[in-house]
Amino acid sequence: MRLLTNVNIDFLGKRKLAAYLSLTLIAVGLLSLIIRGGPKLGIDFTGGTLAQLQFETPLETGQVRQLLLEGGFDRPIIQRFGADNEVLVRLAAGDVGEDFRERLQTALAGLTFEVRRLESVGPKIGGELRGKALQAILFALLGILIYISLRFDRYYAVGAVVALAHDVLITLGVFSLLDLEIDLAIVAAFLTIVGYSLNDTIVVFDRIRENVKLHRKDDFFFTVNRSVNQTLSRTIITSLTTLMVVLMLYLMGGEVIKYFAFALIVGVLVGTYSSIYVASPLMAMLEVRAQARSSA
Amino acid sequence: MLPLPSLRLAIIGLVFTWVIYAILPTLQYRALSEEDKDARRTAGSLEALEHRIISLGLDLQGGIHLVLEVDIPSLVRTLAKNKDALFDDVLNQTAAEALDSDSDFFTIFSARAEENSLRLIRHFSEFGSRTPDIIAALRLEADDAVDRALEIIRNRVDQFGVSEPTIQKAGGKRIIVELAGVQDPAQARSLIQNTALLEFNILQDLGVGRDVMLKIDEALRAAGSPPEQPAADDTETPADTLEDALAAILGGGGDAPAAVGGLAISQEVLGERPFTGYIFNVGNDFVVASRHRHAVDALLERPESKVAVPTDGVFMWSNRSEVLPATGVDDEFYTLYYLNREPSLTGGVITEAKANIGSLGSNAANQPVVNLSMNSEGERTWARVTGANVGRRVAIVLDKRVHMAPEIRGKIPGGQTEISGMKDMDEAKLIAIVLRAGSLPAPVDIIEERAVGPSLGQDSISSGFRAALYGGLLVIAFMIFYYKGSGLVATLALTFNILVVLAALASLRATLTLPGIAGLILTVGMAVDANVLIFERIREELDKGKSIRAAIDSGYARATVTIIDANVTTILAALVLFQFGTGPIKGFAVTLFWGILASMFTAIFMTRTIFMVRTRNPKVKTLSI
Repeated sequence: MRLLTNVNIDFLGKRKLAAYLSLTLIAVGLLSLIIRGGPKLGIDFTGGTLAQLQFETPLETGQVRQLLLEGGFDRPIIQRFGADNEVLVRLAAGDVGEDFRERLQTALAGLTFEVRRLESVGPKIGGELRGKALQAILFALLGILIYISLRFDRYYAVGAVVALAHDVLITLGVFSLLDLEIDLAIVAAFLTIVGYSLNDTIVVFDRIRENVKLHRKDDFFFTVNRSVNQTLSRTIITSLTTLMVVLMLYLMGGEVIKYFAFALIVGVLVGTYSSIYVASPLMAMLEVRAQARSSA
Repeated sequence: MLPLPSLRLAIIGLVFTWVIYAILPTLQYRALSEEDKDARRTAGSLEALEHRIISLGLDLQGGIHLVLEVDIPSLVRTLAKNKDALFDDVLNQTAAEALDSDSDFFTIFSARAEENSLRLIRHFSEFGSRTPDIIAALRLEADDAVDRALEIIRNRVDQFGVSEPTIQKAGGKRIIVELAGVQDPAQARSLIQNTALLEFNILQDLGVGRDVMLKIDEALRAAGSPPEQPAADDTETPADTLEDALAAILGGGGDAPAAVGGLAISQEVLGERPFTGYIFNVGNDFVVASRHRHAVDALLERPESKVAVPTDGVFMWSNRSEVLPATGVDDEFYTLYYLNREPSLTGGVITEAKANIGSLGSNAANQPVVNLSMNSEGERTWARVTGANVGRRVAIVLDKRVHMAPEIRGKIPGGQTEISGMKDMDEAKLIAIVLRAGSLPAPVDIIEERAVGPSLGQDSISSGFRAALYGGLLVIAFMIFYYKGSGLVATLALTFNILVVLAALASLRATLTLPGIAGLILTVGMAVDANVLIFERIREELDKGKSIRAAIDSGYARATVTIIDANVTTILAALVLFQFGTGPIKGFAVTLFWGILASMFTAIFMTRTIFMVRTRNPKVKTLSI
């Protein structure tokens, strides 16, 4: 069976339209980030306590909130979590290493529940984890930049890294728009997106490099477009299979992993788009401009 | 005609064998019921199995992850003399500033002290006269406090009975503790945060201990055979072992037990001596093989045994197991001590303990020793105790574990005690840490806690595996639908890929976490990519009119370059994740890393071999792709 045979879509011809689309998406995301005052960070980065409680019977989050307030907890955030008898309780920093469990038991006395998960992160550690996560992303980008510069040339590297930044920014924007929290697992998802998107971009770049050698006389934009078309069925099939598994993870992997999977879904979609419409056109433009300059 | 790819098949066969060898223990272990596990634990064969299985992360089996930090400001406050308002003020300022700064506490403290013209010498005169000296000494005190806390926690976690706990020092003043499968976090916390209990107990004479053990034997025999007999490991029993073992058990003096010979303990011996059958006599000590410690513990817990032990005595284990060359067996042993139940002295009286090299002319010249000082109350008691027990041994007991049992050579009047007999300087340092642990409690705060209940862990496993299964099936269905026969080949490679990752996890003693499962799932998606690249390339080559074999050859050749370029970048991302990641994220990075490496083998090498075999016959004219 074949999905696409001898396609010849003028991807590069649409590069201006694509650029507007990308810029709009990024702008909307950034705007949302600015309005909300930066990404919404989870307790991994801010410090605080998160408890996942499973009650014996379904109940209203309002009831839990009321009981916790009466129990002396400061501004608890209660959120339904998966099944209708499970809630997430979030509290600001300050309760680490205290008798948190006992206070919880006292406040919710009368209700039968199990503490399924409890995470407490001190404020100092939160700051450190934040620094480390940023460091990790920067190091990953740097390593990738060096590798591509060595294997291809610097315009390819610039194209790939811009596409990466594009993917991460858009995913970050989507998280901000949907008011989802960034925790350590999401940072891991971002780095995976980086790896995935790059994987996709490099397959196209590889074909461009090969075609440039084969057809030296052809117009560079034409060669790039041909390469994108030649690798198109592979790009689509791989994105499809990856989406299949990540979607399964999202639907069936359980609440804990849900947002991690969601980040990957957004990342795979945006990554596939960016390797076609961002990385290759940008690289082609930079190459052609450089060639024009050197021949002038 | 292509040469038969026998070398390739041999390599695949080799990897396949390794995969089975690595994964089998895990399957075996998962099949065991709780009772089976208990039986094996008593028999001492569980540990060996546990050592070869894929261990599950805290998020999958439940457990607790703690990050502890020694409270340096409190420590400094405790150490300081003549505290006044200015001192408190500077210390509080420093503590607040250190909380949201990357600088080290003492650097800030030194700077703030100078700014506020706080004269450190007034408060820390015994640490030196110049500020840099005082700061350096305080730093050493802080390091020492962390070491002591680490040793105390190690000691206690061991008693908690957690298999393979992680206890490690991180970033100077922090300690990370991971206890998998612990159900009660409150208990774990109190265990870790309690002040250490250091005691000195006099060892009872060897003969007395031996008599008590024989009484236990008698009591157990009278009560019928113990419920859990170890499965006799008769396979490794040399013929002469029984006699050797019998000779060694409770054998004459210290010179007899040259060779305990094999560690096989047969049912016969245990029928005769249900308790002492486990116990060997090496030098002046009773020892038990590590794998039989649980069995001995279980026997000691039985009511009949408890009656047989006199009220003034108690059995205690050494804090760690060691290989004893005298036994002639390459096995780890714990020492079982029989002590006075009442400690003769407790650790609060100790004011100083330092590891040194023994002075010239003394008994321990050039040997590592530990020098001990006590307060006046301790001096008096110590003089009395040592005077009354010359020639006997005194056990250094921290939290009910014996760290050392040196002999008392004579009455020690001034409290100044020298302990010798340590193997090396490291051991001497450790003993000094243990001795200091009982005094001056350095407060340890829990600054991060992550606890997962066992039921959530179970849910995570089942949902994770279900997601993996359905995701995998979907991909497989798609591949076979799209690439027909070749899709089947890719499926085979994919399945094998997952097995290789699991085998790698088991062999490397890595931990499978929930994000690890996610990594595995992602690997499935991405591993297909290599085959998609190859198959698409082969199709292109076939379209150009190449023969099947030529198309396969050039398809693989061209796609491999791309695959390597593409995978290197993902591996880079995985390595970075591994480097900065903690716990679960590390787990994700590990599976991603191995998944990609394995996919290079399965998706390129293995599938190609299959194609080679399939197209060996030159008559094959079509390729199902």
